[in-house]
Amino acid sequence: MDGPKFTAILHRALLLGGVWVVLTGGEAKGLALGAAAVPVALWMSLRLLPASAPLRLWRLAGHLPRFLAGSLRGGIDVTRRALAPRLRLAPGWVEVPLDLPPGGRAAMGGELSLMPGTLAAGSRQDRLLVHVLDTDAGFERTIRDAAAAITAMTDGAPR
Amino acid sequence: MADVATVVLTGIGLFFFLAGTAGLMRFPDTFSRLHALTKADNLGLGFIALGVAFQAATWREVALLALIWALALLAAGTVSQLVARAALGEEETR
Amino acid sequence: MTLWLSFVAAGVLASLAGALWRVWRGPRRADRMMGAQLVGTGGVAVLMLLAPLGSWAALDVALVLALLAALAAVGFVKATSPDGAGDPEEEEETPRRKADG
Repeated sequence: MDGPKFTAILHRALLLGGVWVVLTGGEAKGLALGAAAVPVALWMSLRLLPASAPLRLWRLAGHLPRFLAGSLRGGIDVTRRALAPRLRLAPGWVEVPLDLPPGGRAAMGGELSLMPGTLAAGSRQDRLLVHVLDTDAGFERTIRDAAAAITAMTDGAPR
Repeated sequence: MADVATVVLTGIGLFFFLAGTAGLMRFPDTFSRLHALTKADNLGLGFIALGVAFQAATWREVALLALIWALALLAAGTVSQLVARAALGEEETR
Repeated sequence: MTLWLSFVAAGVLASLAGALWRVWRGPRRADRMMGAQLVGTGGVAVLMLLAPLGSWAALDVALVLALLAALAAVGFVKATSPDGAGDPEEEEETPRRKADG
């Protein structure tokens, strides 16, 4: 097994193990069961999405504050619109060409759906379909930032 | 002090929940409603989780609150894409 | 604190009434599913709020509810896909009119 693939699998094992410790509260009996449950969960996750290259964890961590700030702005924006006496909406569609590995595409769509004004609706061929809440507000700009951030995290994964 | 944080944060959370519901009821089309649901509700849930965390006694409760919110966030991001896609298909085949 | 948390929980429950209204009115299946999603998220929030009042075991219930809500939505999407069992993107082969919102 080559290096990057092993690191990717190790990351998943640590994540699943961490979730198990939280679920069981770290009791000895629970941890013993986890010794069986975690490998099974790891095997299933590798069946569903084969490991390719590890995420750049420090970039993921670096992106987190921007993600939280973005989803906060997204929530405030939609709240303002929902509570305004007169609705100001100009919904429309944008198609964005994408060059991301399969898992990255889903992550990108998920992130966009929480950012202000944008909502991913899957992809057609290699283009991501994005619904924009207000075509006059320039929400499209955030799409490129999100794509750049995800690309940086999945750097090195096969396309 | 912890009680003040709980009151403020859960209050903000409730506000976002009410706003999300207002959007779900008022927005004119399916996709716009999905915006309101996805963004406002998860923010509301996040603030409520944070507020309740100030009442927690052990690390496990705090970690569980964080885990639930992370799961809800992940699910919302994924599910909103799937529902949007399904709605798009429904619209096109009508 | 008990009073406040109960008040917030009641407020979240009240907002779920709006979601049920959307489930009732539709008009499309996706709208009804969204209403059901909101009920799921709201239920998780209520369980979180009740945890400090009764037992923290409510958080385990909240976790399971969050999981089930996500799975319910995935089930809905699979059921509405062209062959009733697949992923909604598999219509790709047949070119379709581009939706204009």
